Amino acid sequence: MMRHVSEPAPDRDEGWAVEAHGLTKRFGTRAAVDHVDLLVPRGCAFGYLGPNGAGKTTLIRVLLGLTSADSGTMSLLGIPVPSQRRDALARVGAIVDEPRFHGHLTGRENLKILAAARGGDAGKQIGPALDRTRLTQRADDKVSAYSMGMRQRLGLAACLLADPQLLILDEPMNGLDPAGMHEMRDMLRGLVDEGRTVMLSSHLLDEVERTCDAVAIVDHGKVIRQGPIEELTAGAGVAVEVQCSDPPAAARALGEPATTSRITLTEDGLTVTLTAGPAREQTAEINRCLVKAGICVYGLRQTHTSLEDWFLSVTSRFGGER
Amino acid sequence: MTQHSLAAGRRTSWLPPLPLIGAKLLELRKRRTLMTVTVAFTVALPVIFYGIRLAYHLGDPARYAPAGAPNAFATAGTLMDEFGFIAAVALGATAGTADLTDGMFRHLVITGRSRLALYLARIPAGLSILLSLAAVGFTVACLVTAFLSSPQAAGAITPSPGAMAGAGLWLELDLLIGFTVGLGLGSLMGQRTVPVILLIVLEIIITPALAGHVLPHFLDGERLVVGVAMDQLKPAALAGGTRIGPGGGGALQIPPMPTWAMISVIAGWIIGWSAIGAWKMTTRDA
Repeated sequence: MMRHVSEPAPDRDEGWAVEAHGLTKRFGTRAAVDHVDLLVPRGCAFGYLGPNGAGKTTLIRVLLGLTSADSGTMSLLGIPVPSQRRDALARVGAIVDEPRFHGHLTGRENLKILAAARGGDAGKQIGPALDRTRLTQRADDKVSAYSMGMRQRLGLAACLLADPQLLILDEPMNGLDPAGMHEMRDMLRGLVDEGRTVMLSSHLLDEVERTCDAVAIVDHGKVIRQGPIEELTAGAGVAVEVQCSDPPAAARALGEPATTSRITLTEDGLTVTLTAGPAREQTAEINRCLVKAGICVYGLRQTHTSLEDWFLSVTSRFGGER
Repeated sequence: MTQHSLAAGRRTSWLPPLPLIGAKLLELRKRRTLMTVTVAFTVALPVIFYGIRLAYHLGDPARYAPAGAPNAFATAGTLMDEFGFIAAVALGATAGTADLTDGMFRHLVITGRSRLALYLARIPAGLSILLSLAAVGFTVACLVTAFLSSPQAAGAITPSPGAMAGAGLWLELDLLIGFTVGLGLGSLMGQRTVPVILLIVLEIIITPALAGHVLPHFLDGERLVVGVAMDQLKPAALAGGTRIGPGGGGALQIPPMPTWAMISVIAGWIIGWSAIGAWKMTTRDA
């Protein structure tokens, strides 16, 4: 699915929603974005995942022209940036970091300011954007009285003023309670269903798995994998949930075999993520190792590898979790 | 050309459209504390000053001159000058930093609107508040002077309408300078408090000190201070009728400056600080 192209698509209604090649941004000697090649297909929800400090927000800031890149090429909706940045941003809505607004103004007044900056018909979008984000009832309250979830929704409403083909959202689930996350997920999926592209960064892997169709994993400023979630997690094999008498000892016992790629302690046992190869034989090998080590095995259950398991297995956090 | 590319083209213009100026005006005038200070220093101050003078005069007309005496006009002008400058600096620094400190700067930049237009919108928005309020306060001073004065009071002559208009323009220019320097310095530093303190120190400590002492080997340097140039341009009506500089009013020790030099220094400060603020606005990481 993720094909590489060398030039931005000439037809602006075709091609990638976001395309970056060799994108690099340094702060001193540290590369926050390190030769990133990124291809975000149109009309999907795309997750940009990575540990804290991996360079997710920096990449978004570079894409939006909030800071300059040191090298590389990029385009939004087929329009090269930064050379035609303003043209590209005409159909892009974005939230970078946590959404902050003038606290002494109401939500509606903040949107009026942003609509005035956008120009065109943006002012007419204020009402529909407030309706869509379910903020109409509180639109005339001061933003300083808004909860984090309401500010996130106001940020999304600000994005909708552009009638965007592409939304770039930095941690949109941050600070939301479970109901708020559910609501935000529904809104984002609704936007995708209308043919818009949503690119979001998040550390909430479970939410990304539920919301997104495809992901890119970034670590130390580099994109290390990207593609549809199903393809990526399928390639990582399966996990085996082990219920046993002494999980820490079991983890030590399983630390040696080359068959296991990652071991995570759980409340009543451990989860072993398998590498490529026949799962049945690897599961049997786990059982044999544990019995040989004198550990009582109460149950073994194969499960599909979650995005979180796969994420941890391919990023630098793997070492710390093991 | 599509509708969207037309809209994008309009957004590339460095000229701020009226709705953008109106939006900035909305943002500023809804700041309750800032507006309270601005109204207090530009309108309430002369009203209270003349109210007290009027009360004293009514209480003991033989001892206290009428509220609209010429020296009262000069005192009111000085009060409005000093306190109005502080309000102007605070308003300018707020206009220059509010988007940044409130986290709106990113939202605005992401709209694709020219950063220069975003910056320039702050100038008419802020000045429309400041200069209109100052005009109200000054009108109060003019009305009291015109209708509640005794021409011979304190041995001075009641300023003519032309002299009062000149004094008003001088005051407005002084506030315009305070606003643009505050705006530029605030935009440069990205925060409000330090620029306001620095400019208050410049206005009430450094400028009077320089204006009151001739430094033989630094005379040209002293003249580059905008307050010194403005003091030389000060109308006689605001200095109680004494004529010192070309403007007639400054209580200066420094030899008079040529008019072109005064204008150059004043224009240099306005344009220079505006340009510095604009440069920082267009190059700042968001």
